[in-house]
Amino acid sequence: MWRRSPQPRSVLEDSLDYVHSPSLRGRFIVVGAFTIGLIAMIAIKLVFDYSERLADISYDRLLRSALLQIDENVGQSQGEISVDIPWSAFATLAQASDDRVFYKVESSDQGFITGYHDLDASPLLPVEQGTVQFFDRRYSGEIMRFAWLERYMTEPDASGTVRIVVAHTRLSREAMATSITQRAVHLIALVALVSIVLIVIGSQLVLRPLHRIEQQLEDRTPGDLTPLTLKTPRETYHLKMVINHFMERLQTNLAELENYTSNAAHQLRTPIASLKALAENARDIGKPEEQRAALEKIIGQCEALSDTVNFLLNQAVVSHRLQSQNMGLIDLVQPLQESCRAQALAAFRKGVMLSFEQEVESATIVGDTMAIEQMMQNLIENAVRYSLLEESSTPHEVVVRIVPRPNIYRVEVIDYGVGISDIDKERVFERFYRGRYDITGSGVGLSMVKDIADYHKASIQLQDTQPQGTTVIVDFPVYEMMGEQ
Amino acid sequence: MKARLLMLLCCLSFPIQAAETLWFGEASAPRQLYIHSTLDMSSFRPLLERFVGRHPDIRIGYVDVNTQELYYRTVSESDAPRASLVLSSAMDLQLKLVNDGYTQVYQSDETERLPSHAKWRDEVFAFSYEPVVMMVNKNAFAEREVPRDRQEMLSYIRQYDDSVTGKLGTYDIRQSGVGYLLASQDARQADATWGRILEAFGSHQVRTYCCSSDIIDDVASGKLLLGYNLLGSYAAQRAKQDPALEMVIPQDYTLMLMRTALIPKNAPNRDEAGAFLDFLLSDAGQALMRSEELLYPIHGQRQASDEVAFPLGPTRTIRTVDLDQQLLVGRDLIKQRRFIKSWELALELSSED
Repeated sequence: MWRRSPQPRSVLEDSLDYVHSPSLRGRFIVVGAFTIGLIAMIAIKLVFDYSERLADISYDRLLRSALLQIDENVGQSQGEISVDIPWSAFATLAQASDDRVFYKVESSDQGFITGYHDLDASPLLPVEQGTVQFFDRRYSGEIMRFAWLERYMTEPDASGTVRIVVAHTRLSREAMATSITQRAVHLIALVALVSIVLIVIGSQLVLRPLHRIEQQLEDRTPGDLTPLTLKTPRETYHLKMVINHFMERLQTNLAELENYTSNAAHQLRTPIASLKALAENARDIGKPEEQRAALEKIIGQCEALSDTVNFLLNQAVVSHRLQSQNMGLIDLVQPLQESCRAQALAAFRKGVMLSFEQEVESATIVGDTMAIEQMMQNLIENAVRYSLLEESSTPHEVVVRIVPRPNIYRVEVIDYGVGISDIDKERVFERFYRGRYDITGSGVGLSMVKDIADYHKASIQLQDTQPQGTTVIVDFPVYEMMGEQ
Repeated sequence: MKARLLMLLCCLSFPIQAAETLWFGEASAPRQLYIHSTLDMSSFRPLLERFVGRHPDIRIGYVDVNTQELYYRTVSESDAPRASLVLSSAMDLQLKLVNDGYTQVYQSDETERLPSHAKWRDEVFAFSYEPVVMMVNKNAFAEREVPRDRQEMLSYIRQYDDSVTGKLGTYDIRQSGVGYLLASQDARQADATWGRILEAFGSHQVRTYCCSSDIIDDVASGKLLLGYNLLGSYAAQRAKQDPALEMVIPQDYTLMLMRTALIPKNAPNRDEAGAFLDFLLSDAGQALMRSEELLYPIHGQRQASDEVAFPLGPTRTIRTVDLDQQLLVGRDLIKQRRFIKSWELALELSSED
């Protein structure tokens, strides 16, 4: 049974579909560009932090150098701490060319010594004598960078500590940080741009083998199902293999279909030819008794032909239903009962007792009643047919039974006929396979049963009946209410 | 800090004279600009007149103030300054005003054109150079060689020991901001020479003055034989007018100051001050300085081939005082106090003098 696309599609729909379906290349580019953008942003943030730190490190050196030069010139004369600010200290600070400079020297004993009286000389960080610390603090309307030092006086007659602060504005630091950041940002932006361009070009290259495969398939003649021999990169190897495999299956299916068609044609042609022969015979026969017998034969032949035609039609109907009809909640017992009731008389006429054994009141499953009836009809007909092959004095018997099992309802169709050989058991469900050609039947019966069972998510298996015969077992999954497990 | 500075002001400077305001331009002009400056009228009048000629809508009130007084006045008036433009040759005090936040930024095409060494933070701008020179009375040197550098000056003083006593003149560094700057730069350039100069000045009763022009007057009248550390523009002007005067550009090294302008922070007439500053820096203003031999234009040095009105010595001996943070060192409280003290000791002057 083949699945067909539900409706034929218009060109417009196809093109809309094309427009609306996500583009592999677009997705590739978007994800790539997004990733690069993200990385670039992180890099810029890092550069930003780094450049500020670098500028601080560089200019803190200036500040420290100036501070230490001042510190070196702190001395003592006549018991008084004094400082001679060296020119070089400020020559050092002048390297931060546009930054305002402030300083203050004070001691624990004398208080303010020189510099800017109102400069806040309290340390910001934990004090460690003799160690320079740096911090930012507001003074004179601007944020300043402070270098701070406090140390004990080392002169023999001196006591207490001297404290030196040197501060300058952050102009040069910011200028340096900005210039570093700017250059880095330019570079990062350039790299990101180049990468995105490469992704755009690369995506074109990467997807080219797919376009080649597409082109080759497009260019093929309708009947050409030979494997693709195109040389493509390793990444598309599997796609190529899958396409080739798919075409192989298609070819097999087509061959089967051909086989089936010729088989069906044969099955129809033979009875029609014999019907015609019988009819001509009957026409030419003079004796009324013989003519009557011939007509009986014609009727029998007609019935067989009608069976075959019915069968083919049923199959068409079922396959149509399975494709188009949605399944609903049904009671499995009903179609079973219905099938048995419908088949019982026909079976009885052929000398087969058909019985239905029911071990549950009702069995709710998700399914399609008509398909199940069709399946049961096939199974029962097969069972009857195989029963009749067995020569027996006692009346033949076929039992249909429904048994509840954990999570499943098991439906068994039991006959005591000739049975099916183990080799055939494996193949009877294949399409067009026919276990025995001496039995009438289209050979599509069991494959349809299998299709219907699959459609209901039911498993199907064949077992031998003891002492002889065949039991077909179909296990339907029990319908479970939501939330019940 | 302000209080402390004011205290210093009391100690170090003479009482502020009620400086008179000179007016330029139409009395009816709608805009007004006060300029506080240390520039002598003789050097500045043509520039002021040219400016008001070009800007008839601006009237300029010009107040001549001594460099040191100018500084303290700008600080004390910082909340509501009278002057919108402050011009001074005391670069260190000007820079300190900027550093301490008493000034505002000004930017124009003219200030952008200035080389970076001639401005700081776009708040103080140099508009002219000022070589530091010596001046002698030629009559006194009729038979003697005029000293060409500091060593010659020292040996001259030694040689004519008695005849030069009381006849040497220089700045009083306690009164004059620019005088202090020159002395501190001398001490920085050549500490040993400076010490010997101080010693020689002290032992020969050097006379101290508030201003260049007063020294030059006394040299011209013969009261002084030699003036040391004078501003070149005044000296050159006077030497040109008076054949008895000779300007000596020291050959060992020549200090080079810059006259600078700044706009105080809360200046009432910022736009007018900017206009005047732009005029000073403009080609017209600079050309006027050169052609009238008023000042050494800041842009002038570029045209060396020009007929330079003010000849300068060989440039390798020029020591330009940088307009940067180093100037603050000279104005360190302790350094200043100590420097003045040693100056007073050497010159045998008492602090009360």
